[in-house]
Amino acid sequence: MTDFSIIGKPIAMVDAAGKTTGSGKYTDDLNLPGMLVGRILHSPFPHARIKRIDTSRAAALDGVVAIVTGKDAPNPYGILPVGHDEHALALDKVRYVGDNVACVAAIDEATADQALELIDVEYEVLPAYFDPEESMKAEADLIHDNKPHNLEKDYHHVFGDPDKGFADADHVAEARFIANEVTHAAMEPHSTLAQFEIDSQTGKRGRLTVWSSTQVPYYLQHKLSLVLEMPMAQIRVIKPLVGGGFGGKSEVIPLEIIAAIAARAARAPVKITYTREEVFWAHRGRPRTIIDLKTCVKNDGRITAVKARVIQDGGAYCSYGVVTILYSGALLGALYDIPNIQYDGYRVLTNKPACGAMRGHGTVNVRFAFESQLDELAAKINLDPADIRQRNLLQPPCVTVNGLRVQSYGLPECIEKVVERSGWKQRKGKLPRSRGLGIACSHYVSGAANSIIRSDMPHSTVNIKIDRDGGVVVYTGASEIGQGSDTMTAQIAAETLGCSLGRVKIVAADTDLTPIDIGSYSSRVTFMAGNATLRAAEQVKKQIAAAAARKMSCAPEELIFRDDSVFRKNGHVGTAAFGRPAEQGSSASVSGRVEGQILRGSLQQKRKDEGPKDWMTFEEAVVAAIDFHGALTGTGSYAPPPEARGGKHKGGGVGPSPAYSYSAQVAEVSVDEETGEVTVHKVWAAHDCGRALNPVSVEGQIIGSVWMGMGQALTEEMVWKDGMLMNPGLLEYRSPSSVESPEVEPIIVESIDPEGPFGAKECSEGSLAATIPAIANAIYDAVGVRLHEVPFTPERVLAALRAQRGQKKINLTEGIDPTAPAKFREHGGSLWFRGKGPERHPLDPARREGPAEAAGGD
Amino acid sequence: MEEAVGYLAKHDLGIRVLAGGTDLIPSMRQGLFDSEHVLDIRHIGELRGIRPRPGNGVEIGALTTLAFIERADFLRRHYPVLTEAAATVASPLLRNMGTIGGNICLDTRCLWYNQSLTWRKGCGFCIKKDGDLCHVAPGGTKCWAAFSADTPPALLCLNAEVEIASASGVRRMRLSDFYTGEGDAYRKLQANELLTRVFLPESSADYRGVYRKLRIRGSIDYPLAGVAVAMKRSNGYVADARLAITAVNPAPLLVKGVTEMLEGKAVDEALAESVGVLAAKTAKPLTTSALTPEYRREMIRVFTKRAVMAVANGN
Ligand SMILES: Cc1cc2nc3c(=O)[nH]c(=O)nc-3n(C[C@H](O)[C@H](O)[C@H](O)COP(=O)(O)OP(=O)(O)OC[C@H]3O[C@@H](n4cnc5c(N)ncnc54)[C@H](O)[C@@H]3O)c2cc1C
Ligand code: SF4
Repeated sequence: MTDFSIIGKPIAMVDAAGKTTGSGKYTDDLNLPGMLVGRILHSPFPHARIKRIDTSRAAALDGVVAIVTGKDAPNPYGILPVGHDEHALALDKVRYVGDNVACVAAIDEATADQALELIDVEYEVLPAYFDPEESMKAEADLIHDNKPHNLEKDYHHVFGDPDKGFADADHVAEARFIANEVTHAAMEPHSTLAQFEIDSQTGKRGRLTVWSSTQVPYYLQHKLSLVLEMPMAQIRVIKPLVGGGFGGKSEVIPLEIIAAIAARAARAPVKITYTREEVFWAHRGRPRTIIDLKTCVKNDGRITAVKARVIQDGGAYCSYGVVTILYSGALLGALYDIPNIQYDGYRVLTNKPACGAMRGHGTVNVRFAFESQLDELAAKINLDPADIRQRNLLQPPCVTVNGLRVQSYGLPECIEKVVERSGWKQRKGKLPRSRGLGIACSHYVSGAANSIIRSDMPHSTVNIKIDRDGGVVVYTGASEIGQGSDTMTAQIAAETLGCSLGRVKIVAADTDLTPIDIGSYSSRVTFMAGNATLRAAEQVKKQIAAAAARKMSCAPEELIFRDDSVFRKNGHVGTAAFGRPAEQGSSASVSGRVEGQILRGSLQQKRKDEGPKDWMTFEEAVVAAIDFHGALTGTGSYAPPPEARGGKHKGGGVGPSPAYSYSAQVAEVSVDEETGEVTVHKVWAAHDCGRALNPVSVEGQIIGSVWMGMGQALTEEMVWKDGMLMNPGLLEYRSPSSVESPEVEPIIVESIDPEGPFGAKECSEGSLAATIPAIANAIYDAVGVRLHEVPFTPERVLAALRAQRGQKKINLTEGIDPTAPAKFREHGGSLWFRGKGPERHPLDPARREGPAEAAGGD
Repeated sequence: MEEAVGYLAKHDLGIRVLAGGTDLIPSMRQGLFDSEHVLDIRHIGELRGIRPRPGNGVEIGALTTLAFIERADFLRRHYPVLTEAAATVASPLLRNMGTIGGNICLDTRCLWYNQSLTWRKGCGFCIKKDGDLCHVAPGGTKCWAAFSADTPPALLCLNAEVEIASASGVRRMRLSDFYTGEGDAYRKLQANELLTRVFLPESSADYRGVYRKLRIRGSIDYPLAGVAVAMKRSNGYVADARLAITAVNPAPLLVKGVTEMLEGKAVDEALAESVGVLAAKTAKPLTTSALTPEYRREMIRVFTKRAVMAVANGN
């Protein structure tokens, strides 16, 4: 059935007005009586042992209610079962500048801040590691004792016969690519409010309720239970509106646990909202990645083998790291047909904030390298870059050499569409000097086929309840974080039940009310929670159909649910469009909802008198069903099918997905050859999302992905000096402003996935990865330089241009290399500086006597 | 006014002037100023507005917002370089609040300084605030924080003067004398003084003007290098010209020798290029700001060349 009434239509987000009018509430908007403010003390050192913490001076300050430190919650946790290496507050060691040391709960922010200054911490400074390749050589002073060489995890995969592939090739390209570290920069800073209830029976401390800006309420509930040693049933996590996550809220962030610990100690609700700088420290963004890539092709452009060695600078904790490094390898597959793959991935620990999941998790940086190299190879063999991509297409349904099952595959159409719309064939190579076109492709999972918690539980479960007034309530654990999951859920429920969208109310992401869902990340919600919603709605629909069919004296299969009514496929009365009197139309739904209570009795009576009907209103059908079955509820859940769960090799669990989205993009840029500035004029972005349940929403996601990709391509970069983040704010960390946002032409491609809800797949991450190489390739087309390091800042572009022209080398990029720590340490910030000057600020750590003396070496 | 300077005299060191607050408030939040009092001068009406003084140029009140300056027809017609520079400051919202006085008095900036207290504690304090060493020029005793406002180079090209008031009276000085060239004590303004007016002389009126700014984003960003040029031409030859640069030194600077180099000449690429080289020599960018110093100096050369060409060709 392709004729839908709700899905496929551009629909405003169901929570849009709440956001635009300001009536919607984010976590920081919430206040409770007696609520305290929590502020966190952060480590000034990148790597140090905590010898002693003395909170007595701070505790004596008026207005301070409680101070908590690592000892108050010593259990470790981490998002991955293999990575329980974090403590909400440091226990014995701090591992990055910004690591969490203590938290003050006080009556207001100023008091809490003042108290932070009064906490005395004695550190023993340890040598720190900032560069992953250096860090891998570490023998002593490891970041985590159980991780030799500071290696979080390494994987070595061989699929097919890479050596043979290399031998068979006619052309080889080999290069090192570097993608620097970026972060999500979500608008809403993380915020958590935690409250313990007094148990009404015993008077003791009772249940915990936590409101938090999270993408994964269930994981938060789980980790809280672990750290606080409380049963999960005693913990309720509620997700208010969230102002963007992009992966930065897809795991448990220290403040979420710290707020709970502080609330427990203070015996009062505690709210903590991060400053922007703290958001940068909490991070979990995309790691700086070093990619040594080798690609081989035949003369006709067919890829024979790929070899990638990937090093990720993961920061001080595991976070999602093991998954990231696996995605980087696994997603070499499933886009093109690559017969032989060798992958060596290293996730390395360094003394910086932990990297984690970020939009396009794991695939983006490697995709930049791969698509750039493919472009180089195309130039080498004199093939159109669009053609070389078309010559390496998969032939689905298939299983790739690394065990990924591909069914729906809209990539060919995506390439065709962007080539056509951008005028590629006519314009490529014929633009004025300094202006160019570049093409690149990408893909992404529609949710992971294997959840990070190894269990057989469904990934999503949805409950639906319908009351006598025809109101449909959908209970889902899926977290709306601005991406539109509530709208998607409402659409699928309404479409399936044939009722209007206005009838559907979504209750989401409240662990007391909603069944378990593993959250909003890896683009899984539409596919998985969508399927669960579909199944729940179908279950309810079946019950309604059974009752309605009785009333209409027909078989349930004969009934159609649509436009707030239920009618027979080939009803006698049906002259109008769908076999029911046209004039009854939508007014039935409106009055039905408003006056349902009053009308119901008389309507029922009337219907009874009139005998069997060919149609009923939705509400009448619901009443019939409730009278017939009792309560009208349905439940549906989704778990990915076993066939989609991937190969058996070590690490083979990451990468498989029930379906992949596909994307192709053409970027048009110009380069100022004197300044190195790159301007993106337009991006044509085709994305195969299976089916566009809500086209405006899909377009929004595509445009957002392109924009975010462009930020990483041109301006965004976390700059480090000796473990100090030089740009921990949105002024110096430069996400593009509206001024440099290019025109984006989103093109929706619908491949109708056999397993997706109504054929839908993901649409919010896959596009991002194509933007960076599309821009890189367009720069190459414009001025003939191949850039190997992202972002393409003007100084990097200019340096490349000068090298190309053999001009005098002015070292334009020296000094911004984040891996050059020697400089800063040589002259010593006072971090490494000892002794001088009696006028030092009293807070200057270098002024402290004692173990700080040990500072300096590594 | 009297009340205001009275407060300043009374509290002297423990007080800070707040005009638009777009620089002061973020800096206070970072703990860069810990003065006990803030003097809000926003409601001193006489310090707001643009007053042409026929024969004597124009007088601009210190509290006039940058948005107002950007839109003022009179300035656009007679002092276009100022209009151009004002229009590039920060973003529209900030220009609605930020004042010209605040822009002139703007604190110098440095990546090691414009950071939170926690950050600076971690890194170690520097000469400009609470410390005794410099992270940018190790071993030195001088602060090199970059003066990063956009309108002062334009004002320098226009030979602007500023009026400074305190309880003991009013003085007037050339803007070029207002800056010290030091990153920490960057301006000659005592804590008990108020900058009240800016004067643009009649003799600078009707110069063509261009301002070129290096920034990474098209909005919001402070200049990483900036070049202002004002030029008068007659019969296709340069009659007079001045050029000033910003964001690459602890003070905005008029580039010496530009007038002589251009005077009486017809501008062509080669000439513009040599002005560029001259300007680049005046620039001493350091790692106080994003992008590398080498790149920023190179951009002073390129932007100067472009600005000179643009102003000679009537934009
Ligand atoms: C995100 C952001 C981006 C920015 N980008 C730019 C930019 O691109 N270019 C740029 O030039 N500026 C920029 N600024 C800085 C600032 O907005 C402008 O310089 C503005 O003009 C400052 O004016 P104000 O009135 O807000 O100054 P305030 O913040 O009120 O004051 C600034 C300083 O001057 C002193 N002061 C102000 N007025 C007087 C007076 N009349 N007498 C004595 N002392 C005085 C204050 O005490 C304070 O030290 C930016 C600021 C932000 C927050
Ligand atoms: S130039 Fe040196 S002293 Fe001045 S603010 Fe920067 S680091 Fe501090």
